[in-house]
Amino acid sequence: MTEESTLEARGLKKSYSGFEAVKGVDFKVFGGECFGFLGPNGAGKTTTMKMIYGAVIPTDGELAVAGLDVYHHEREIKRRIGVVPQENNLDDELKVEENLLIYGRYYDLPSKLVLRRAEELLDFMQLSEKAEATVEQLSGGMKRRLLIARALLNDPEIVVLDEPTTGLDPQARHLVWDRLRELTDEGKTLILTTHYMEEAARLCDRLVIMEGGLIIAEGTPGALVDEHVSPQVLEFRTDHRSLEELVPILEAASDAVERTGEESILAYTDDADALLERVRGSGTEIENTLYRQAGLEDVFLRLTGRRLVE
Amino acid sequence: MWQRNITIFRKYWKTILFPNFVEPLLYLAALGLGLGAFIQQGGINGQPYVQFVAPGLLASNAMFAASFESTFNTFVKLKIDKIYDAIITTPVNAEDVVGGEYLWAGTRAALYGTAFLAMIVLLGIVFRQPLVTSWWALLLPVMLLAIGIMFSVMGTLFTSLIERIDLYAYYFTLVVTPLFLLSGVFFPVDDFPAPVPQVAWFTPLYHAVNVCRELATGPSVGVLVDVAWILVFTGALALIPVQIMRRRLIG
Repeated sequence: MTEESTLEARGLKKSYSGFEAVKGVDFKVFGGECFGFLGPNGAGKTTTMKMIYGAVIPTDGELAVAGLDVYHHEREIKRRIGVVPQENNLDDELKVEENLLIYGRYYDLPSKLVLRRAEELLDFMQLSEKAEATVEQLSGGMKRRLLIARALLNDPEIVVLDEPTTGLDPQARHLVWDRLRELTDEGKTLILTTHYMEEAARLCDRLVIMEGGLIIAEGTPGALVDEHVSPQVLEFRTDHRSLEELVPILEAASDAVERTGEESILAYTDDADALLERVRGSGTEIENTLYRQAGLEDVFLRLTGRRLVE
Repeated sequence: MWQRNITIFRKYWKTILFPNFVEPLLYLAALGLGLGAFIQQGGINGQPYVQFVAPGLLASNAMFAASFESTFNTFVKLKIDKIYDAIITTPVNAEDVVGGEYLWAGTRAALYGTAFLAMIVLLGIVFRQPLVTSWWALLLPVMLLAIGIMFSVMGTLFTSLIERIDLYAYYFTLVVTPLFLLSGVFFPVDDFPAPVPQVAWFTPLYHAVNVCRELATGPSVGVLVDVAWILVFTGALALIPVQIMRRRLIG
């Protein structure tokens, strides 16, 4: 039995007077999962998110959120989703708790309920102490947490997060990740965009890789890595001339090679030890060798020849 | 939307109310009493000058209040604080936002206007020169709301079209100020040679001033024409900024 999808897009497109931001994407999101859109800036992720939450009207294609089509049921959809946007659009003229209270009113929720939820959410996002503070007094990380709290006021079944941890320090980022995981544990569906490989790998059950307005790969983080790259990566750094010598050796002995700079190169393999021996055996001078597991960043590199974060 | 605005208003009302209040009072004192002293005994069409000017200032007060709210304040919300972007991700959409803002600007105009009206009545009693002589004046707060909404629609229309805040200089210099000076606030325009009165008939403040003046001192049937003009004008324009704002907020 196939599961009912919570969100489905078919041939979704968006053009802005000549510029095609989204060139036709298809995807399905199922209830209770965390679904990610991974890709560099300008890939079309934010535009796609905006089409989901109604800030942008698609040029073409079908898009159904919670079974409702975006062209005709935008208000109903908005009632059931929560949005954490990329930019910080908190109401500076209101205090922290007031931001939540007023926002709750937009959903036509009874004031007592909003008050209770606001308190619970401030607690959930560890902002209770700051309830009476002004928005200006909050740090970047706190503002993001407030945005997330705000997005949850109407107890949405689907939460859309556009680059939720961009610009946050590692500690803030981990706190947000923990909270987001709790949300999926509760059964909410999360849709997020990011250009951080680690975030995608950690949080997402399934993801798509987007580039230039198109989806170029799809799957679970593990499956994507298995499918597109060898599991182990060796990075060699050395002077330009030695690197040139190294290239043919690597190309012969590894599954794939990617040049990442004048003085650095990546080699993909499933037997790093063997490869390392070959390289050492060749006698070429190497300044630095780095070993790591292959990740989504490598998948992206493989598929597009570019890095996720330039 | 309206509730959001009034929550914020409650924080700042003293600083906001004060200048908006004092200014027309100054005009009233300086022109009404000052200039009025120079105008002959007969006043204007039998009305003492002070009594003539006061309702004019009432109407223009509403115009300024609504105009400022729907221009600068709205622009800041739109482009600088980007509040509306956050709001339209909720079931409140662009049409609701604009409608709410109309109502709010109208409310603000009505609030200031009513406070000013109370002042006028009081002054009239204190100085034994009644400025408001009719019970019809009780309808003024409602009319001020309508007048406020009318000017809010105009201001929002301008706001929805501009990209930079300094362009408001054009709106205030070329629209608001001329209206203020030439709509019968300080002197009647009906006796001017054609086409002046005819042109004035097509402008909003002219009718707002007439309504205020008539209701303050006992209306004639003609006031219905002015009221109708205000309602029709507002209704006709109201949806245009809604459409433009919607397009601005949603790609």
